[in-house]
Amino acid sequence: MTVGQISSAQGGTDTAKAADRPAAANRPRISMNARRQRAFYMFTSPWIIGFLLLTIAPMAYALWLSFTTFDGISPHWRYVGLDNYRELLSDSVTWDALGRTGLFAITSVPLSIIGGLGLAVLVNRPLKARGLFRTLLYLPAVVPPVGAGIAFKQLFDTNSGATNGALNIFGFDALGWLADPYARYVLLMVVLWGAGNIMIISLAGLQDVPRELHEAARIDGASAWRTFRSITVPLLSPVLLFQTVTGVIASVQTIMPLLLSADATTAGVTAIPQSNYQYMMHVFAQYFAVGRYGYASALLWVLFVLILVATGLIFRFSSGVVFYNVDPEAKK
Amino acid sequence: MTVTSLPPKSAARVRVRVNRLVLYTVLVAVTGLFLGPFGWLVLAGLKSPEELAASPVHWLPDTIQWHNFADAFHLIDFLGYARNSLVIALIYATLVTLSSAWVGFGFARLNAPGKKILFGILLGSMMLPQLITLFPTYLIFAKLGMVDTYWPWVLWGLSAAPYLVFLFRQFFAGLPRELEEAAIIDGAGYIQIFWRIFLPQSWPVLSASFIIAFTWTWGDYIAPQLLLSTDHSTLAVAVMTTYVNGAGAPVANLQAAASVMYVVPILLIFLVAQRGFVAGMSTSGLK
Repeated sequence: MTVGQISSAQGGTDTAKAADRPAAANRPRISMNARRQRAFYMFTSPWIIGFLLLTIAPMAYALWLSFTTFDGISPHWRYVGLDNYRELLSDSVTWDALGRTGLFAITSVPLSIIGGLGLAVLVNRPLKARGLFRTLLYLPAVVPPVGAGIAFKQLFDTNSGATNGALNIFGFDALGWLADPYARYVLLMVVLWGAGNIMIISLAGLQDVPRELHEAARIDGASAWRTFRSITVPLLSPVLLFQTVTGVIASVQTIMPLLLSADATTAGVTAIPQSNYQYMMHVFAQYFAVGRYGYASALLWVLFVLILVATGLIFRFSSGVVFYNVDPEAKK
Repeated sequence: MTVTSLPPKSAARVRVRVNRLVLYTVLVAVTGLFLGPFGWLVLAGLKSPEELAASPVHWLPDTIQWHNFADAFHLIDFLGYARNSLVIALIYATLVTLSSAWVGFGFARLNAPGKKILFGILLGSMMLPQLITLFPTYLIFAKLGMVDTYWPWVLWGLSAAPYLVFLFRQFFAGLPRELEEAAIIDGAGYIQIFWRIFLPQSWPVLSASFIIAFTWTWGDYIAPQLLLSTDHSTLAVAVMTTYVNGAGAPVANLQAAASVMYVVPILLIFLVAQRGFVAGMSTSGLK
């Protein structure tokens, strides 16, 4: 890749020199344009080449693998057409994992958006030390996933966890939080812990809401809730849409179930509690614990297409709901 | 605040006071809840193994076991893993920041047929699930013999990150046209214009991009777990998987201490460079 970059860079300067000499008198504008075009491709080529080699090529390779029985070791693999896809459709493990992933996405995404937006509204009020509150509430979103996983494993440990300690004080029995069926709630709480992320982004949006609108609403006697619902939310809707889409994509591919399980290595994937055994974990297990590259690639492509469809649907259904403030005068 | 303009009625003033008290109580409670998990992690790192295994829970350590941090340092080659993490994160953050600035300049200041489509693909690829492409990419890297080397991070770094390209593009597009026009009249090429004029202007974005890329790589678990053998792996993988005693049982208090030491550098970077961090974050929401 570096070689390509250097050679194209030299190509750019060569033509630049050539264009300077004879063309200066005749048609300087056109050669300027050609120069700009060459330069455009020279500057964007690292991304274009990288995208082709590190995104398109692997996905194409996976598509090809999904029609085979390749396992990475055995030389006796063969082309099996749609067999992997047929097996996938009749595999109850796949369907269960998909259902859990869907349920996780439609609970975690709205909850963290509501939570993040709520926090943003709170710390947007004129308060003492609101900068400090913002920083502290955002801090968990900066904690790397491994740190979050270990912290929550400690917090929800059956014996030494603070949650069971608290339950004990109030006279309840200890729960096996990290096992079935409760592990899914711990997963949900880890995600909500990072809601500071959405808080910061919503806060930027809140500060863009024109003051006059709020004042006008107040003069008209609108209640705080009404103002929030009819002014703040519509003006924030592009931000919320963006959060919904990125949230769904992030929740589908979260590796947190693995980090919350007892053994977070490749071999441990199969030991993840059932209630946290999501689709992505199933793909991971089929690739690296079981070694069925062909079948795993079929699973991977199905998920990829489902995410594209889900993203498309979110955009389509939001087109009537999301309000884009296009009047530059109104934006203060 | 909204009531100050009204005539000073004592009932209204009391209501404002009460509202304010409720607001602060809620905020303090929520903030406590948010800091709780990390606080508990620190506490776990300061307990003895017996205290950590006690049931019901032993809330506070009887004597604070500071030596856990030193023990966590020595049970595994903590410094070696930290160095691996640092090297990979520096390689990736440096390369991806420069390449993203380079590509971002192209999208912001140059034009050619196909630019609109390419930019559309760039924005779309921001939404591509990275874990999905990582698995088959791993298979290809394995075929090319790049497993257990840092080459994958070099290649990822050279090929720019869509999100960072977008940050640079927004910044460069906002600079005045005269900047490059004068340079072009002087006969400067675009590489010179980029390197001498635009790049030095973009310190805020450069540092934001570097910090974002650095924390991504420091926090990444799956890529190093797949691509590197345990000895050459990063601190994230080591903290998660290598804290076991001779019998293979996890050493939870040392693991907790180690994960505090793993997380704190990132928290410090965030606290020091908060502005750039937040600016980078919120730009993503505005588009």
